[in-house]
Order: sequence, then structure tokens, then C-alpha cells
Amino acid sequence: MTLRVAIEGVSFWASRLPGWETARAVMTGEQPPPEAASTRPSPTLLAPTERRRAPDTVAVALEVAARACEAAGRKPSDLPSVFASTHGDLAISDYMCSTLATTPALISPIKFHNSVHNAAAGYWSIGTGSLAPYTAISSYLYTFAEGLVEAATQVVCEQRPVLYVAFDIEAKGALATMASSRGLLGAALVLAPVSQARQHRSLMLTTESVGECHPTPARSAAAPLVADNALAPCLPFFEALASSQPRTLSLALGRQMALNVQVN
Amino acid sequence: MQTRPLRITAYTLCSAAGDGRAATLAALRERRTGLTRNDFGASPISTWIGRVAGLETQPLPAEFANWDCRNNRLAWRGLTTDRFIDAARAARDRYGAHRVAVVMGTSTSSIGASEEAYARLDPDGRYPADLRRPIIHTPHSLGDFVQYALGLTGLSVTVATACSSSAKVFAQAERLIRTGLADAAVVGGVDSLCGSVLFGFNSLELVSPEPCRPFDVERRGINLGEAAGFALLEKQAPRGEWLLGYGESNDAHHMSTPHPEGVGARLALSDALARAGLQPADIDYINLHGTASQKNDEVEAKLVADLFPATTCASSTKGWTGHTLGAAGIVEAAISLIALEHQLLPGTLNLRVPDLACGPQIQRDNVQREASHALSFSFGFGGSNCVLVFGRDR
Amino acid sequence: MSATQSAGERELAELIVTALNLEGVAPADIDPEAPLFKTGLGLDSIDALELALEISKRYGFQLRSDDENNVRIFSSLRSLAAHIEQNRVTA
Repeated sequence: MTLRVAIEGVSFWASRLPGWETARAVMTGEQPPPEAASTRPSPTLLAPTERRRAPDTVAVALEVAARACEAAGRKPSDLPSVFASTHGDLAISDYMCSTLATTPALISPIKFHNSVHNAAAGYWSIGTGSLAPYTAISSYLYTFAEGLVEAATQVVCEQRPVLYVAFDIEAKGALATMASSRGLLGAALVLAPVSQARQHRSLMLTTESVGECHPTPARSAAAPLVADNALAPCLPFFEALASSQPRTLSLALGRQMALNVQVN
Repeated sequence: MQTRPLRITAYTLCSAAGDGRAATLAALRERRTGLTRNDFGASPISTWIGRVAGLETQPLPAEFANWDCRNNRLAWRGLTTDRFIDAARAARDRYGAHRVAVVMGTSTSSIGASEEAYARLDPDGRYPADLRRPIIHTPHSLGDFVQYALGLTGLSVTVATACSSSAKVFAQAERLIRTGLADAAVVGGVDSLCGSVLFGFNSLELVSPEPCRPFDVERRGINLGEAAGFALLEKQAPRGEWLLGYGESNDAHHMSTPHPEGVGARLALSDALARAGLQPADIDYINLHGTASQKNDEVEAKLVADLFPATTCASSTKGWTGHTLGAAGIVEAAISLIALEHQLLPGTLNLRVPDLACGPQIQRDNVQREASHALSFSFGFGGSNCVLVFGRDR
Repeated sequence: MSATQSAGERELAELIVTALNLEGVAPADIDPEAPLFKTGLGLDSIDALELALEISKRYGFQLRSDDENNVRIFSSLRSLAAHIEQNRVTA
């Protein structure tokens, strides 16, 4: 089956690729990656009470979410959203597991309420005052592609623009040996019905049952900078977007399910 | 594209109230609670829990050893109850393994396995050898296991929006079927008891030291529970209850407190009724979120009193199962389907004196009566709300 | 001008700023007599729980959430510091 949606806004953030303009230029080879790493973005759209409690997941997710809405010229509060993260807040999971192993009665209530997989989505809805539905999903190695399908499905079913946000952060402690992820990586898109699109780039998404998935590999100079983040499988998609030419690529949706993407 | 009704051609649930539909129906009829004094873990806090018996001694079959952990054992218990697995495999054979999507809801998935690993780290600070299995230390542990166990190869997603997770799976699956990305979907949810939720909710002082008393004026908080539930959704089938609609929204208010006027909950409700083409007066039964926390019950009682006629029966069944968090959506969807199938509208256990906010809709006692339409409410941390609409098989 | 903090109040102010990650607030600038919640430092109920946990870890006694004196105890840095002084187990 094929889903067709327009791309109204794109954003991207990693410490050596801070923002879509930089990331795009590195992906196309127009400029080398910056030497210095940027510090974690501050979730400025949150009120002080929420901002001081926001963990890294929230900081990176809200940064890319806000930039994608800006690029699309859409008011964040109008958009339903899909938040996808492979592992969620690995730092809080490490905190919860270590505290439970030693002093379970001393669990921090703030850390606990930040531990839910939908924390970033929840903070986003609070910060933007959006009552539009959000969802928060995970699909292990296939998280980015499954989230993209869910966001595009919502666009097509409800005929309204949808914000798609994907992010993963650095693993901490012993958990890092099982759920490996380094650095912060976030990316977001505003997708819209083709007929309502204010801009011209669009996506054709087609699922295909295959014997074994062979996703398109990342090729650009940006790849090594984010290769060890759990969200790295999203990179070939953004490399295609970085090019001004139409491109096709394949993402893995499962062991035996491919998502063929045509970027127009 | 209009929301289209889907047939629910198979469903099941396992909770502290019983394994399967018949046992759950019996517990509902006999008003027999599944709650027991908390005995989970080494230093249990003073509360009551809805614990599913026997999981400790029932590892997964050898072919699924890679996924073995408490949460996936509970998932397997659910899959093998009420012959759900046979119905799911028949759907696989009918439509093709890649055409049946898996959409699972959970709050903490198998974090209990990570907790156990941290309690038994080896002297070098590494995971014990038996728990060095990456798939059980990530949220998609549940969706991945269910997909593998059913021999499916299509879309597979784990939704984790706290306590609305396994209600929202119905909405996501409906969209996948509507757009033609899948012909059928296995939806459901599993959450299992673990230190994170017991001590976490305790740190927020939301846990009751006594059996929970939803909507009672003297309620003292929630009891945590564990459960698994599944439903098979299909576009066309000769029989089965109906998924008629769903509504989703957010509060945009606070991470762990509901909006005082239930703004988001009301939006989800009106969206759900609109999709189903129904009015509040058409609703015979509402399975409320009814956690027995101070704020949830107050907001929810007021919403029901404001919007529904006295002829609508509403109740919380948390007194039977405890609050099963990410599994609450599917558990209460299944109870709503049982209510329609058997025309038994469960009341509310442990409700003695209703909160002042309660209208005549909120029932203490079970009601046996004709019922065609049921709603299930799920409201979660992060302000995520979901309302489901079900119709009787006809 | 804010009133002067005692040594105990200063220590508590530092604990509050660190535990709640208060941005742009210097412990020395917290007025010991100003309200901690809502209008003052803008703390809310979940901050109260976090603070009670940090106080129990540092001073070795439990603040009970069902204590009817909580409104008074948590009303200002000064009243909270005085309550800690009366109840602390650790030196």
C-alpha cells in the first residue's frame, strides 16, 4: 500500500549537527562537520517549572519539534503529534534500576514521573498548550520507520497536518551494554495532506514484504557523527531529504518488511 | 477518510480477577476481587496489588527463551487463553503473515528484567549472563515478542503513553486497516508488577494502604495490578462485537495531574461519540478509568454527571483488577465487551459512600440489563486521554 | 530587601536549589520569609514530595504528607528550616 504526504517542515539536532541547515550542508558535502560539539538545547518553550524538570529526552525532542513547526509555518498547538523513541529515557531507566537495587524507598517522584515513554510528548503538549492527540511509540531497530508510517497514516486518515518527532539519547550505567546509544539525536518533520501542502516536497511511502530487509546505508560525512545513536537508522532518510533532487531509499520496518520511500 | 467500524473477532484478558473471559465474568458476577496484600519483591510497601499467580514458575517455551521475562510470560498467558492464539494464527493464514499488524500497549514493558539485572550485577558491574538479552531491556520487548510468537511479519509497534497505551492501540490499528496497510490487527497490552511502578507511585503518594475504593468519598489512592489482554480486529467478519469509534486528546496541563475540568477528557469523548455517530443518551455502560486517586475520580465523576443521562450506567472495575497501567485500556475494553455480550454491567467494588461529584450514573451494584453500546475511558500520565466506543454483536 | 538567612536556612536553601534544579536562583537570594510555593519560588505539589525526600535523605526524618501542619511548615524557608532543626536526626 502507498501513502502520499507532503513535507512542510524538517528539523534535525545532534551535538555535531546542531540544526537542519548545518546537518543538510554536511550531508550534501557542502561543508565539513563543525569541530566543536554544541551543548544540549534548552527547552525554552516550557514554563520555568517544567523546564527545570526536563531531562535530555525532553530537551532534544522539544528542540526539533519546535524547529520543524517553525520551518512549516504551523502553530504547534494545531498539530497532532507522533513521538518515537527506540529506548525512551535511558538515563532515567538507569537511575530507577540502580535506586531500586539499593534504596527503593528513595525513588525521586520527579524522576519517576519523567520516566514514562510519553514524557517528551507530555511536556510538548503542556509547553505548546496543544490538546490535539499525541502518541508515543517504540519499535526497537525499526522505530524511525514505524513512527513515520504512523504519522503519515494519521495525515491520510484525518486529512490534517501531523508533527513527527523521533529521538534517542545516551545510555548510562550497566543498561548501556544492552541498550546501546551514544549522544543525543533528534529529528522532526511536519507532514501534511498533499492537497493542502504549502510546499512542494512530498513523500511516497510503500510497504513491501521481503525475504530479508536490506535498508539503504547512510553514506554522507554526517553518518559517523551519529552512527552509534539508537536512532541512526533514520540517517539515510535525512540524507535523501538533504538532496534537492528526487531520491528513493528503503528503510527497515521489520525483519521482513521494508518501507520504500520516494522523496519528490 | 471516515472511521469505519471494525469487527472484534476474538478477545481475551488475564488479570488478578481471573484468566480468560469466563473466569472474569464469574468474578464480576460474584463480586470477587483479585486484590491481595502486597507481597511483591523483597521489601514490599504497605498496599494491595492485583497479582497474576504462577508467572514465577512458568518460563516461556524454549523457542521463545530470548524473550523470557515476567512481562512476556504474562503476554504468553494471555495469548494462550480463550484460544486467542488460534484465532490470531487463523487470521495470519487467511490474510498472510505480513498483512496482520501488531499494535501493543504497555507502560513499563519488561523493565522488571532490567531491575533484576541491576540487583544481580556481577563484580565487574555487568549484567548477569542469563539477562544479557537486549530485546528484554527495551520498550518494544512486548510488541516484538507478540509478533514473533504469532508468526507475523508485518507492522509491529509498541505504544507507550502510560495508562492510555492499550486503549490507543485500537485507534492506531483502525488507521492501519483503513489506509490498507493491514487487513487485520492484533491489538492489546501487557504490564506487569515491578519495583519501578510500586515504588514510583508510592513516591508520588498515590498508593492506597487498603483495597482501592474508586469514587468513594474516603478513597485513599490506587492499587497497582498486572494484566494481559488482546483483541483481533478485522474489517469484515460474520460475527463479533464492534469497535465503533475512538477519541484521543491531551490535557496540556501537567505530567502527573489531570486537568481540573477534564478539558482533554471531554474532547476525547466528543471525538469518540462523533466517530461512532452516537449521542450520550445512546450509551448504556461506561467503564470508567476510576483509579481511586483523589483527582482522577473527582474530575471523571463530574464529567459523567455533566454529560450523560441518568440511564447510563458507569463504574470502575479497578476494585477487581487493580490499576494495570498500560494494560488498563485493553483489560477494560475486554470487560466492556463482556458486559455487552452477557448484558451484565459491572458495578464498583468497595464503593460505600460516593464522592459528592458522583451523579446517579455511577453504580455500586452490578446491573443486569439490555445494553447495546459501551464506552471505555483511559486517562494517563502526561495528560494522554483515550475513549473507546464498542457495540454489541448484531 | 530580604531578611538575612541563618546558617541552617542557607544550607536548606542550597538543598532546595540543587534538588529542584531552580534556574537562575542563587540560594543566598531566597528570602527566608517569602512563600516557597506558588507565588514565591513557584514550587508545586510534586516539588514538595521531591523536597520531602531530599530532606529525609539529608536530615534523617520523614516529613509526612498528611501532617495537618504542612501548610505552616512549608510556608517559607524559615519555617521549614525551623521544623528541620526541631526534628533532625543526623547532625
